Amino acid sequence: MKLRSLRYLGREGIKNIWSNRTMSFASVGVLVSCLLMTGAAVLFSMNINAGMKTIEGNNSVRVYMKQGLPTLSAVKAGEEIKKLDNVASCEFVPKDEAIKQYMNMLGDKDGTMLAGMTGKDNPLPDAYKVSFKDLSQYKKTAEQIKKISGVDTINDYSDIANKLTNLDRIVTTAGSWIILLLSLVSLFIISNTIRVTMFSRRLEISIMKSVGATDWFVRVPFVVEGVIIGVISGALASLILILGYDKLISVVTSITVFTPIPIRSVATTLTLCFIAAGALFGALGGIISIGRYLKNEGGDIVGW
Amino acid sequence: MIEFQNVSKVYSNGTKALRNVSLKVDKGEFVFIVGSSGAGKSTFLKLIMCEERPSEGEIVINDMCLSRLKRRDVPFYRRTMGIVFQDFRLIDNMTVFDNVAFAMHIVGASQREIRKRVPYILGLVNLQDKQSCRPTELSGGEQQRVGLARALVNNPKLIVADEPTGNVDPALSFEIVDLLSEINRRGTTILMVTHEHTLVKHFQKRVVEIHDGEVVADSAAQEVPHEA
Repeated sequence: MKLRSLRYLGREGIKNIWSNRTMSFASVGVLVSCLLMTGAAVLFSMNINAGMKTIEGNNSVRVYMKQGLPTLSAVKAGEEIKKLDNVASCEFVPKDEAIKQYMNMLGDKDGTMLAGMTGKDNPLPDAYKVSFKDLSQYKKTAEQIKKISGVDTINDYSDIANKLTNLDRIVTTAGSWIILLLSLVSLFIISNTIRVTMFSRRLEISIMKSVGATDWFVRVPFVVEGVIIGVISGALASLILILGYDKLISVVTSITVFTPIPIRSVATTLTLCFIAAGALFGALGGIISIGRYLKNEGGDIVGW
Repeated sequence: MIEFQNVSKVYSNGTKALRNVSLKVDKGEFVFIVGSSGAGKSTFLKLIMCEERPSEGEIVINDMCLSRLKRRDVPFYRRTMGIVFQDFRLIDNMTVFDNVAFAMHIVGASQREIRKRVPYILGLVNLQDKQSCRPTELSGGEQQRVGLARALVNNPKLIVADEPTGNVDPALSFEIVDLLSEINRRGTTILMVTHEHTLVKHFQKRVVEIHDGEVVADSAAQEVPHEA
């Protein structure tokens, strides 16, 4: 196809948006709704994920050293724990500190109850408070820690780790499915909207075909129209979502302790994704519906 | 120019639209195709436009064998002919100029060519003053002349006119056929489907009559007494 034909068809596509403004408005409305639903699902999933990460981060594991292990060896073991890939933080809890924490827990502030258990008579071992980067790797990392010399036991945490990992997986999988489903619904609605536009212009298409227009010549204005409608819808949907989300998080933070992810951190990505998705949906919708139309009824010269 | 060799067309529902039609139209001829409704005229035109393929036989047009024409080559084949419809088929939200220019855009003509050629063609059909009108502002005869201009603008070797006078005042029908005759004099082959006997009698061209899917009469141009 010649460049000047493309220029002409591009202009035709833009003109068509205005000539068929009722249909264009309907398409924008449909696409904005679909993008809003998809965007809301994405933000919800991102927030759940962020919440999970916070919970995972707060959950630390105790690694107990062998009784009577010299402090130097305990520090060395700590260094080795820190070197492990999956270890996010590793904080030394000396046994004196541990017994103090116990005393506080038992309300024995002045130390009368556990008086015989301080200093050299402290029965508690030195320990490390270790948090993991990825809880699903809990078992493997726990095994690695156990192999380090000086380490006695590690408190069993696999149950919670498993539950959290499962929940994380469910949220991610469900989120992806919802997004995929909504994308398909959007594509279906858009291609049908364009199909309706096409039926309303079937006379024009049949004239084009009778004069010798190729399928691409018929297709390009619809694709241009679809892309422009998609970009406008993407921009509009991201604006609505950003404003709506901002309003919503100000309400959420005022009534719960949960800290939602700030919109500023995702606004640019969100807008770009929406515009790209809108353009892609528009173009795909155009190509799919026209392809079907031209293959079936659109190849004919209407009325003969 | 156009050659039908023992062409038959049977639709998938069993309707036999054309039976063993053999016909030859030479370059530069003007042929009226006549026949009652359902006689097979539409199928005849559809076969020429390559909208339908023959069930049997061969069609050769402009040295192209239509049964061997690939689907993707059909648009390029159609560009070698101009088509005029009974119901004009103009696009209402385009001006007269744009309706004609549209056919040139399809073949990839440049803006300069379009600006030069469209007014020339509109002059030929006597519509130079109506360039910026919308089709709805024109009379039936004028609209058909726009249709004719669109069919002519790419300088086709063949013009296929499907009852071009069907929606035009009887008085203006002669004007349309006069125009087609003028185009024919300049070397373009014309195939015109009609059932207006007065026109056929008046213009003394070759007449091919189709009845029940068969060519029942084919006359060379002859003097017919003028009835009107």
